[in-house]
Amino acid sequence: MSSALVAAPNSNLEGKDKVSRKKRFWFAIIAILPTFAIFGWVRMFPIAETLRLSLFEWNLLSRNKPFVGLENFRELFQDDQFLDAIINTAAIAFGAMAVTIPVSMVLAAVIYHRTRSRFAGFYETAVFIPHVVSLVPAAMAWKWVFDAKLGPLNRLIVAFGGEAQPWLFDPVLSVICIILLVSWQTLGYGVLIYLVGFRNLPKSVYEAARLDGANGVQSFFFMSVPLLKPITLYVSVVTLISGFNVYAQAFILASDTQGAPGRLVRVLVLDMLENSFQNFRVGYAAAEAVILLVIVLVLTGVQFGLLRQRGRK
Amino acid sequence: MTVSSNTRSRRKNLLLDMMLFVICVLLLLPLLLLIANGFKTPQEILVWPPTILPKDPTLENFQRVFSETPLFRWIFNSLSFALLSMIAIVITSTLAGYVVAKFQFWTINVIFTLFLATAIIPFEVYMIPLYFQVKALGALNSIGGLLIGYLVMSFGIFLIRQNVIATVPDELIEAARIDGAGEFWIFWHIVVPLLKGPIAALSVLAFFQAWTTFAWPIVVLTRKTAFTIEVGLANFQSAYTVDLALLSAASAAVMVPSVLVFVLLRRSFVEGIAASGMKE
Amino acid sequence: MGKLNFIGRMSTIVCLSAGITVGGHVAANAEDIVIWGGFPELQGYYERVAESMKSTHPDLNVIVEPIGLRDHEKRVALALSSGLDETTVFELIGSTANRYIVNDLLPSAPANVAGFVNNAANFEPFFQEVAAVDGKVYGVPIFRGQGALFYNTDMFAAAGLDGPPKTMAEYTEYAKKLTQRDASGNPTVSGWSLRLSGGGGGIAEKFWINLHQFGGSLLEKAGDGYKASYANDAGLAALRQYVEAVSGDKTVTVEMPADAAAFQREQTAMFIRESWVIGDTAKKAPNLNYKTALLPRGSIALPVNLYVAGGSEKAQKAAWEFAIEANKPEHLIWMLDNVGWLPNRSGVDYSSVTTAKPQFSAFVDLPDDYAFFTLPSIEPINEILTRFAAKLTEAYADSSLVGNDAAMMAVLEESAAETNKILDRAGILGK
Repeated sequence: MSSALVAAPNSNLEGKDKVSRKKRFWFAIIAILPTFAIFGWVRMFPIAETLRLSLFEWNLLSRNKPFVGLENFRELFQDDQFLDAIINTAAIAFGAMAVTIPVSMVLAAVIYHRTRSRFAGFYETAVFIPHVVSLVPAAMAWKWVFDAKLGPLNRLIVAFGGEAQPWLFDPVLSVICIILLVSWQTLGYGVLIYLVGFRNLPKSVYEAARLDGANGVQSFFFMSVPLLKPITLYVSVVTLISGFNVYAQAFILASDTQGAPGRLVRVLVLDMLENSFQNFRVGYAAAEAVILLVIVLVLTGVQFGLLRQRGRK
Repeated sequence: MTVSSNTRSRRKNLLLDMMLFVICVLLLLPLLLLIANGFKTPQEILVWPPTILPKDPTLENFQRVFSETPLFRWIFNSLSFALLSMIAIVITSTLAGYVVAKFQFWTINVIFTLFLATAIIPFEVYMIPLYFQVKALGALNSIGGLLIGYLVMSFGIFLIRQNVIATVPDELIEAARIDGAGEFWIFWHIVVPLLKGPIAALSVLAFFQAWTTFAWPIVVLTRKTAFTIEVGLANFQSAYTVDLALLSAASAAVMVPSVLVFVLLRRSFVEGIAASGMKE
Repeated sequence: MGKLNFIGRMSTIVCLSAGITVGGHVAANAEDIVIWGGFPELQGYYERVAESMKSTHPDLNVIVEPIGLRDHEKRVALALSSGLDETTVFELIGSTANRYIVNDLLPSAPANVAGFVNNAANFEPFFQEVAAVDGKVYGVPIFRGQGALFYNTDMFAAAGLDGPPKTMAEYTEYAKKLTQRDASGNPTVSGWSLRLSGGGGGIAEKFWINLHQFGGSLLEKAGDGYKASYANDAGLAALRQYVEAVSGDKTVTVEMPADAAAFQREQTAMFIRESWVIGDTAKKAPNLNYKTALLPRGSIALPVNLYVAGGSEKAQKAAWEFAIEANKPEHLIWMLDNVGWLPNRSGVDYSSVTTAKPQFSAFVDLPDDYAFFTLPSIEPINEILTRFAAKLTEAYADSSLVGNDAAMMAVLEESAAETNKILDRAGILGK
């Protein structure tokens, strides 16, 4: 390994460069091929198969599967439930992203700062566990937190002189409840990723900054935040995409088991699943998937544009 | 360092510790309620507002969970499935993530875009054709059939890509090439050691993705003995009610292996990073 | 490279364990039959039936695999549409099964089973009709969901009421008397718990139950098809009752705890629900004093049948025998007593159960003119209910509707137009 670490002057000979470029290309192709093949088989093929259905009308069972062209899309844009679902889903995705990124970054910075503390393991585990716990029993606890009459959240608000709110029933507040639940779940994910980022930052840079008199907060904003841009891009894309994929949280907060119902916040995936498995309109649900794909692809493209970076030089 | 700045920084650390502690307790609060629910009688679990600490704690729910359901079997199934999936994902993601980060060819860029785009469509939506594929292989009710859905992970590739961009300098790779190192040698001896942290994080994410997944196992597995934990837990919900006491007890019991796996994986990656402390 | 070693060690363990797991999975043999249900609470019942078949079928291996209703319906759809490998007994609501039958995915019952089902001594015509399509028997009736009024006798006594309400006007009147309020007049215990929010079509289904008491129906047959039939006086009366309860008399609010759990916690004085509440209450609130009563005109009935598909002929035969065995009186009495779902078979003496648990009598001792309705077996039924439910949720919470019949009618008309549009798209809109 030591020989590789010796920096050599760049020797840019045209011909040699072409040969090595070709060699690198083939390495890249061969290295990625197995993964690409698996992707093709278990992701791209079934997805393409699903998306194709958006041009058909199919009830999941019938052999009869008439081609309807863009009819499903035309109907979608007049469907109140679908439009409602898009707005709710976008609000949840952006809301969860806006909470997760700053909070997990700061939390990770503080936990990283306290790496030597004997509680470091506890902090990381405590933040991460909500990400892996089963949703149904956890959501029961959350419903209690949000409860209009006796929930601790409202008690807190009242104690500070505010007015108790019907958290799970108001059209706006119920969306906020889902954002909080989703953020609670994804926070551990973000912290884990940022911690890896912090641990991989070159310590020499910080050392230099400290000698120049920068304090912790300054080096966080002027060193860590820009250096962690690739990680922030990752976390923001992942939270946005998973935000658009939310449905179990919405379903569970509205379910009336244990006598505590809530307002059903209609989200895209819930609408799709209902359309394919309960309304038996597979083609229509596939059209929704196409629209979801287009929206999120565009948003992800924007994120890549905003957080563009070159490889570290 | 002067004595006063030392005590000041110690006081600051104490403050930070206290802050972290409060945050952690707040985050764990819903889970504490969940665990407490596992110790409650069916009558007490109905009390509204819920009691935080069980008045009359009982172990009956746990006894029932272990005697009435093959919980250990389910944990074992989940563990095998999650570990196999984790290994497959770590291998495929590390290779592919490195390639998409450092090899700027348009073909590779297109492939990366495709990888990422597949993550946008929710799994539940394209599960139907995938189910037909797995059924055609005769792989229902097996770990193999489960695994088919979980061999690759778009976000895993993306995670490695971003970390390669953030932490593997081009110069290092160029220098090795000039020294005549082969591409695979560079990957294995230079890139992978620098990626220990991200690989460990990826292992955690991949493991728990499989551990908590529900939509796929519920259609692939129809035999109680083949269930994973999450599917098994769904059995505590009847058509219109939830046996919350039993469900909470089972979830609380399942948290034990979850925490254990996380602590194990975490220890291995914190040590891994400490060992690779050559990066000054 | 501690990390890689760790992975290496783990993978050894895993490969070993995976070998065991996959090896432990035994392929189904000819004498295996699988029971797929959507009601996990019935596991014990099916196991009991299987046990009693042991003597006549020593080689038969019955595997009971129930799971929650939503997931059950999903797996049935996937399994039936991709072909079954092993003989499976499906527990399905009649209206759900219909779509598999019309797509030729469920076979009709053999002659002896059809004879059993069509025997007037075994089942009432209502259940025979739901088990058949175009006069051909496909399923064996087993149990049903049916509603009745549950009321808290202590609260009734405290309010000076000595019996259940008998008309819908009395429901409103009683609810007012039963509601308990705090100092500022806000209800703390609802007089009559109504389904006002939550997920899916349940809201519309509950509305339909009330509508039925006013003589109305959500859908009615028209020619060969169906049409919405709630934008009329009956529909208005039902909606008015809801709106008055929430925003007028305030006998219940959207945010209040509701349903069985609220009843068991004594947060509501009465509500309408299925018979499973009896078993559930015995477990969770054994000291609650309550009775049940018939609804003014009649109830919803959602019959569940057993269907058979897949596997060898021999195993299929055994599976049909299982469906008949499941209808033996001793098993049905056990189900009513221990699970609380209502068996469909006639001529069974349930008095041992109804004497011990009198609450069951409002479900099984019915007057001759008690009118049942069920969800029609049409493909878009769920979509119709869900979309109507969304409209209803908004209307219930809209206090501007109080006393404004015209506005309420407008809500109903708008929803009915939407319902008809869905029916039209499915090609079953009657004129």
